[in-house]
Amino acid sequence: MNAIRRWMPEWLSPTALGLFAGAVAALHFLPRAVELSPYDHNQITLAFVFIAAALAWNWLGGFVGQVSFGHSAMFGVGGFVAARLILTATALPFWLTWLAGGAIAGLYALAWGHPTLRLRGPYFSIATIGVGEATRLLLTYWTQFTGGVSGLMLPINPDLKYSLYWYGLYFLALVAAASYVLRHSRLGLGLLAIKSDVDAAADVGVGVVFCQDLVLFLSGAVLGVAGGFYASYFSFIEPNDMFGFDRSISFVLMAVIGGVGTVFGPVLGAIVFVLLRQFLIASYPQLYLGLYGVLLIVVVLFEPLGLSGLIFRLTRRLRTLRAAR
Amino acid sequence: MARGLDLLLSAVLLAGLYATMAYGLGLIYGVLRIVNLNHGGMIMAGAYMGWLLHSRLGIDPYLSLPLVAAVSFGFGVLLYRTLVMHLPRGAAGGVQSLLLLFGVWLVLRNAAYLMFTGNDQVIQTEYANKAVMVLGTSQSLNRLVVFGIAAVTLLGLHLLLTRTYVGKAIRAVAQNADSCTLVGIHVERIYMLTFGIGTALAGIAGLLGGTIFAFNPTFGAVELLKCFVIVVLGGLGSALGTAAAALVLAAVEVFAILLIPAYLTAAVGFVLLVLVLIFRPGGFFGQRVLG
Amino acid sequence: MNILRVEKLSKSFGGLRAVDSVSLELARGEILGVIGPNGAGKTTLFSMIAGSLTPTSGSVYLQERRVSGLPANRVVRAGVVRTHQIVRPFNNLTVLENVMVAAMFGAVARGLQPRAVALEALSFVGLADRAQQYPHGLTLVGRKRLELARALATQPQALLLDEVIAGLNPVEAIEMTKLIRVIRDQRSISIIIIEHILAALMSISDRVAVLDYGKKIAEGKPAEVVKNPLVIEAYLGEPQKTGSESTSRSDGGPAQ
Repeated sequence: MNAIRRWMPEWLSPTALGLFAGAVAALHFLPRAVELSPYDHNQITLAFVFIAAALAWNWLGGFVGQVSFGHSAMFGVGGFVAARLILTATALPFWLTWLAGGAIAGLYALAWGHPTLRLRGPYFSIATIGVGEATRLLLTYWTQFTGGVSGLMLPINPDLKYSLYWYGLYFLALVAAASYVLRHSRLGLGLLAIKSDVDAAADVGVGVVFCQDLVLFLSGAVLGVAGGFYASYFSFIEPNDMFGFDRSISFVLMAVIGGVGTVFGPVLGAIVFVLLRQFLIASYPQLYLGLYGVLLIVVVLFEPLGLSGLIFRLTRRLRTLRAAR
Repeated sequence: MARGLDLLLSAVLLAGLYATMAYGLGLIYGVLRIVNLNHGGMIMAGAYMGWLLHSRLGIDPYLSLPLVAAVSFGFGVLLYRTLVMHLPRGAAGGVQSLLLLFGVWLVLRNAAYLMFTGNDQVIQTEYANKAVMVLGTSQSLNRLVVFGIAAVTLLGLHLLLTRTYVGKAIRAVAQNADSCTLVGIHVERIYMLTFGIGTALAGIAGLLGGTIFAFNPTFGAVELLKCFVIVVLGGLGSALGTAAAALVLAAVEVFAILLIPAYLTAAVGFVLLVLVLIFRPGGFFGQRVLG
Repeated sequence: MNILRVEKLSKSFGGLRAVDSVSLELARGEILGVIGPNGAGKTTLFSMIAGSLTPTSGSVYLQERRVSGLPANRVVRAGVVRTHQIVRPFNNLTVLENVMVAAMFGAVARGLQPRAVALEALSFVGLADRAQQYPHGLTLVGRKRLELARALATQPQALLLDEVIAGLNPVEAIEMTKLIRVIRDQRSISIIIIEHILAALMSISDRVAVLDYGKKIAEGKPAEVVKNPLVIEAYLGEPQKTGSESTSRSDGGPAQ
């Protein structure tokens, strides 16, 4: 054990690594071990992508502390870049189109984010609402790129959809690992300092602009790849869905419900969100907005650290109870 | 030339509505340091309230204004007492208040979908579209009435804030809440009152807007962003600033229609917002809006 | 060669001249005191030297290398760090993590482990046993020491101390004063110190500069400055108060 410990960086916990590897392995073999219905198989595939998106949103919203209500802008840019490439550069493998979408989306995030991150707190968030909506309106208008309101149809590939499960899984694994590294690394500590007091952070040497720009790019890029994935999955995308305010809100909700600022929180939140959405679409499709709203209110007032905060509190209470006995 | 004057007058009339919308948002932020993301929801609620009273009870929207204002005020007070009051104050409260009030907005939106469906509505009175000649240009009566009511409302607000004890207390709390407790001002009550007034203004603005524009449950989102532009441009605590900024925004919108398709004019507001936030966060009047 | 050279530094906020053409020099191994009435511009001066505020005009040189105009984090890397008048710990990080941030980002990497540097700084100020606590669990003197440890962890050449002693009781004040002297003696760090507690400042400063309304009105050895009629008129007014009385009168630092 000590031999293993020696080559691992000190912030990497062996338990976390073990759990991570175990979960990935389990999920890898799940569809073959268990008889999953095509519906469930596809839902899990989609869930992988949403979890990854929530994790990436959280890098900016939870780790740095700048809440973005406009992340659908990058999701959409990535999706449409990937879709355009699939349609025009047919020789390109689809995952490369995702990467291209991610890169462009990341750069787009940098373009509007770099100047805007000078703003603090609510003013940044308000600006992001503006960015998201402006992107939607402008790109809907740019019909040559997005196909206007009718969107873009992609060639359907039935074999692809099945294998998207594993693409999604490994995409998520990468993003989750990056999330853990970001949180526990030197950069992560710097981000927390920025979140606490940006001026004091600069006063002790933290390169605030560089750190924020890096997170901005990474967060936007992952959202872009997620958009590309979404396009391949549905073989159809349209601007109002991709760039919608509701979509931006879904990222916020997933992270907030699960626990902003933690590594595992957005995972929990995204899972709950996806399950909730399925349930609501089936039983109470007209109530989903209100329910999201109530969830936000409840989380903010009672458990600002979301589900992961709740779990943390409960385990601590159990521990003190056990110690008291 | 006549076209220019026509557009300019349209802008002025529109600015009255915008200023009323923006003032409530600015008031709440100035006093409580909370960005009321439910502002859009209240604007939408005000429009629907007016529509309901008009279509079910036949009450003229402009006459139902006091009732809508009162209900909005009450709702704002209720919102404050049950939810907003419990938010942590200061920097920590920033993100929390955004999320909380956004949640309330989602609930209101859902309620509107359930009660009224997502279809466009408009509060249509028979006299609404009568043309009136003003300075040689033709303007519709409802826009003139809206402007008139907006002007009166803002004037009344100005008098409230400058001439009454309550108004002065509100302004004092906006400047330095801690010192206010030392001179016997019940700060929590002022917060509650201010939140109520800000909400009432949103409701009034929504009602007025509903007589001019078609609305559905998403009404208020675009308007909210316009309010931010105005508040940031015009600075806080400056009635003149708000009015001037409202005029600037309205003028930009009205004249932009000459250049870009109508549905993109909303984008104008957003782009302007982002630009203003980046380059001129202090606005042109009033205090800095940043931190 | 001087460690720090401030040349005709000025800052205007709109119509207000907060700092007016101030020039200073900090010699290697020196402790320079800066005093002046409230609103004289002392903290604004510090902010400009440290890079958190851009000067309206004038320059700052660190070992004849121009640092004015650099962002704060680059200035820290170059070797100048400041503490804040009202302490600003990172409340979401433990005491150790607070100092580690400074060690990781503020110090030019010299093969030293940030954790080791941080622990060393903490034990120097006497906070080693509180490493895993959060700042809100510390008393004021603890938080001031944390602020100091954080600054030291950036391995600076010049340290700007903004009222580290104000608000402490007489015993704590004497300990802090000793600590400052040790910083200069054992770590070869040159120090500029702003302080309201005149007794403390006069006792440890090699030289003192006096600011009033943004201008430097006097400079020299403590004993000389005290006798300068301009200084007396601007600031001291009556014969110098003793340390404890000054402590009880200072209320945590209004704007300077």
